[in-house]
Amino acid sequence: MLKKFKPYVMLAPVMFIILGIFTMGLALGFFQSLGYFPAVGLKEFTLRYYKEVLTDIGFLDSLKFTLYTSFVSSTLALIIGVLLAYSIFQSKSRKGVLYTIYKLPVIVPHSIAALLVFNVLTQSGILARVLFYLGIISEQTQFPSLIFDQNGIGIIISYLWKGIPFIAMTVYTVLSNINDKLTDAALNLGANRRQVFWKILLPLLMPSILSSYIIIFAFSFGAFEIPYLLGPTSPKLLPVKAYIEYINPDLSHRPYSMVINMVLASYSLILVWFYSKTFKLFSKFDEIS
Amino acid sequence: MKKNNYIFKITMYLLIFLLISPLVILVIWSFVRIWPWPNLLPRDYGLRGFKHVLDPSTKSLRVLFLSVGLSSLVTLCTLLISIPAAKALGVYEFRGKGFFKMLILAPIIVPPVAVAMGIHIAFIKLGLANTFLGVVFVHLVPCIPYAVRILTNVFEIIGESMEMQARVLGASPLQTFIKITLPLMAPGLLSAGSLVFIVSLSQYFLTFLIGGGRIITLPMLMFPYIQSGDRMMASTYSIIFIVTALIMLLIMERIVRNYYKEQNYFYI
Amino acid sequence: MKKIVTIALLICIFTLNLTACSDSSNKEEENVLEKNWEAITEDAKGTTVNFYGWGGDQKTNSWLDNFVARRLKEEYDITFNRIPMNIDDILNKLLGEKQVEVKNGTIDIVWINGENFYTAKKNDLLFGSFTDKLPNFKKYIDGDSLEVKYDFGFKVEGYEAPYGKAQFVMIYDKAKLNMVPRNHGELLEMAKNNPGKFTYPAPPDFTGSAFVRNIIYDIVGHEKFLNMEADKEKIEREIAPAIEFLKELKPYLWKEGKTYPSTNAQLDNMYSDNEVLMTMSYNPNYVSAKIQTGEFPKTSNALIFDKGTIGNTHFLTIPYNAPNLDSALVAINFILSVEAQSSKYDPENWGDLPVLDNRKLNEEEKKIFENVELGKGTIAQDILLDHRVPEMPANIIPIIEEIWQENIPVEGE
Repeated sequence: MLKKFKPYVMLAPVMFIILGIFTMGLALGFFQSLGYFPAVGLKEFTLRYYKEVLTDIGFLDSLKFTLYTSFVSSTLALIIGVLLAYSIFQSKSRKGVLYTIYKLPVIVPHSIAALLVFNVLTQSGILARVLFYLGIISEQTQFPSLIFDQNGIGIIISYLWKGIPFIAMTVYTVLSNINDKLTDAALNLGANRRQVFWKILLPLLMPSILSSYIIIFAFSFGAFEIPYLLGPTSPKLLPVKAYIEYINPDLSHRPYSMVINMVLASYSLILVWFYSKTFKLFSKFDEIS
Repeated sequence: MKKNNYIFKITMYLLIFLLISPLVILVIWSFVRIWPWPNLLPRDYGLRGFKHVLDPSTKSLRVLFLSVGLSSLVTLCTLLISIPAAKALGVYEFRGKGFFKMLILAPIIVPPVAVAMGIHIAFIKLGLANTFLGVVFVHLVPCIPYAVRILTNVFEIIGESMEMQARVLGASPLQTFIKITLPLMAPGLLSAGSLVFIVSLSQYFLTFLIGGGRIITLPMLMFPYIQSGDRMMASTYSIIFIVTALIMLLIMERIVRNYYKEQNYFYI
Repeated sequence: MKKIVTIALLICIFTLNLTACSDSSNKEEENVLEKNWEAITEDAKGTTVNFYGWGGDQKTNSWLDNFVARRLKEEYDITFNRIPMNIDDILNKLLGEKQVEVKNGTIDIVWINGENFYTAKKNDLLFGSFTDKLPNFKKYIDGDSLEVKYDFGFKVEGYEAPYGKAQFVMIYDKAKLNMVPRNHGELLEMAKNNPGKFTYPAPPDFTGSAFVRNIIYDIVGHEKFLNMEADKEKIEREIAPAIEFLKELKPYLWKEGKTYPSTNAQLDNMYSDNEVLMTMSYNPNYVSAKIQTGEFPKTSNALIFDKGTIGNTHFLTIPYNAPNLDSALVAINFILSVEAQSSKYDPENWGDLPVLDNRKLNEEEKKIFENVELGKGTIAQDILLDHRVPEMPANIIPIIEEIWQENIPVEGE
């Protein structure tokens, strides 16, 4: 049957790029993590680097810290983002500036986001200045340290600033695609708004919420820009560790960077898989039709 | 009901304020000369940043046009190959669907430095390194996950029933796609397109790697200033970046809107 | 559908146009080093030279884009093309190309020094020894001076030509600090008097790492490091007093030394914002440039320790697969001219210390340098040169950074 192959044919161009370009790159990175990097004279396959990295004392702290910042930032972004999308949807101001303006942070690259958060939240940032002006604090040092702090607040806020509008944008797109008649019918049948939201809209939104959650989680788990610019000196987030090893001029350090990257990628993969399973369970449970 | 509406409005305005106000500070920063603690506004303003950018010797304007052209092309290509993939994932059931969904996420999950050298070597062998075409190809990698994910969700919602009806009524596959599917997915296409454009426009690492300095885009001029902490220069370039992106997104929206209008005998 | 295809094609043509003109290929198989200088300048005419280097300083960028590009065009009909790229990206690009034996690359000149030069040279990423070919190198540079012969303790062997000199300084605001620390002990005292108002960037930040090395020099002297091998245990023993000092300093630092700014840029911004009292730089004229742009207060001043501060030289090199060797040589030679070096020395333009040997200049040329007006807050060149200590070998620097990381920022002490 030709029909059986149809989905595969349709996936082919995308897979050509992903498998052709991406996986090829990944293979080399993987070899390097195993210590095979002939260009700089490393020619033996070994698990030494994995052993060294995984048994390092600081590694576990970094891993925990990475999990914590990405989990907190993406979960909060998810909740607030859905709230924002629903608020805009409810206030019906679909036209005009508001419809576009909230999306602005989406178009700002992460490193600029870090710069913005730095400008606002340091002890000499604009927030501290406003508080000083209002007389709430009398000295810079009274302002809590939110940047380079061990609680990762600066990092989380930057990711929130990028993540909330992203979630809101994708959720809003789906919301505006959902036929109004569906909700109207439910309202006419005596359902209240809360019921409409939980029983009708949310299940319909679930796939896109899951998708965008996974995207921002996976991104924040692996990207180094924001934590590199705003994170504490110790513990360092794993992507920052990998990056610092990567830019080390001594190229024999490259395997360490690759090991951390591989560990990051596999953790991320497991978590993403786990999320999609739970979400699926959740949305099946809630399905009405 | 009315009261509820107010709560939503207040939430909306508050959130939008929190999201936008840092950007206002960015605009101020691009004109700053001196801004000491604890002044709420800068003590002195200057035009060093914009003067530098507009100086013809920095070639910033040429770079700007090149970046926009590159990212537009990447957006078109990404959408073209992502639409069928998203339809397959969104509408059909087939073996290995979950696996493919995961695989498409891989470029987001794996940090780019891990794949950099392999991709670079492959592109050199293919003769694509240091070429415009090579940069377009390599940009597709980080863009595809976003496009496929968003469009899959759209297909999951619109399904295939409308298309089926059209086909039953005797429309050709191409006709069905243009007259039915495309208008139905227009909003989704718009958000996917916008996002892909942005992802491509902000690519720094991959453009360097494959463009090898032959292809210079806006982030390459901007990021050194962010790294070196020249807040004024960084803000200036950021503003140029944001305004450019915004204009392109508005144009994109206009195109989709017009398209809507042409086709609106069906979708209201 | 047709529309989309047309748009795609249009964009394609449009952007290809923009990139097409940057393509300059002149393949030559003959050995450039065997040609005489006239032939080299003749062959360089009408070509493009691609200069790759760090692009984070607006003044430096403007100097290259305006002065160097304009003069090379006028004098030699060479188009100078600056590409902002970090050195680690450049090395990775070359390394990738090396693995597939790309003969014709894109980079003609690289701005480099220290560990990166060592890595590049060790992995055969460089063209080779070329400085003997440059007339200005022979005329103005003291080829026997340690700073030209060695780069962070590594033999240069003509693989790179000096570009400028840097020296570590600390920057403070006269209006806010009346006691200027002249050694590590006074620095500690200053920190104790102003708790939370001093910090340094966390190594491996370039400047932060230099600060730590300076403290080490100030406490245990610099001589023993110059020929030290990269043995961690030995280094740990040697620098132990300095690590002890940094531990002692820690509680008086910004945020009690629990965390550090990760880049010098952030420290500069904290200094501008009055969050800390001092910042630091590896460029001695940096302070006047920053005063000029308005980023630092007008009363800012540079300071050095009595025992001296670390200085290094930054260089220009040519990669193994440079597509345009002739114009690379001509451009580097031009940068070594009195005209270029004095223009670079002017804080209005950049403020980078010249590399020419003062003894090799004639009276007229000396005048040119003397007439350069140094900006506010800077230290005179002769005082700097008198208080200049050499860098450590590049391969022990990462070890020191590692030791710092293991001892200083960790919690629970």
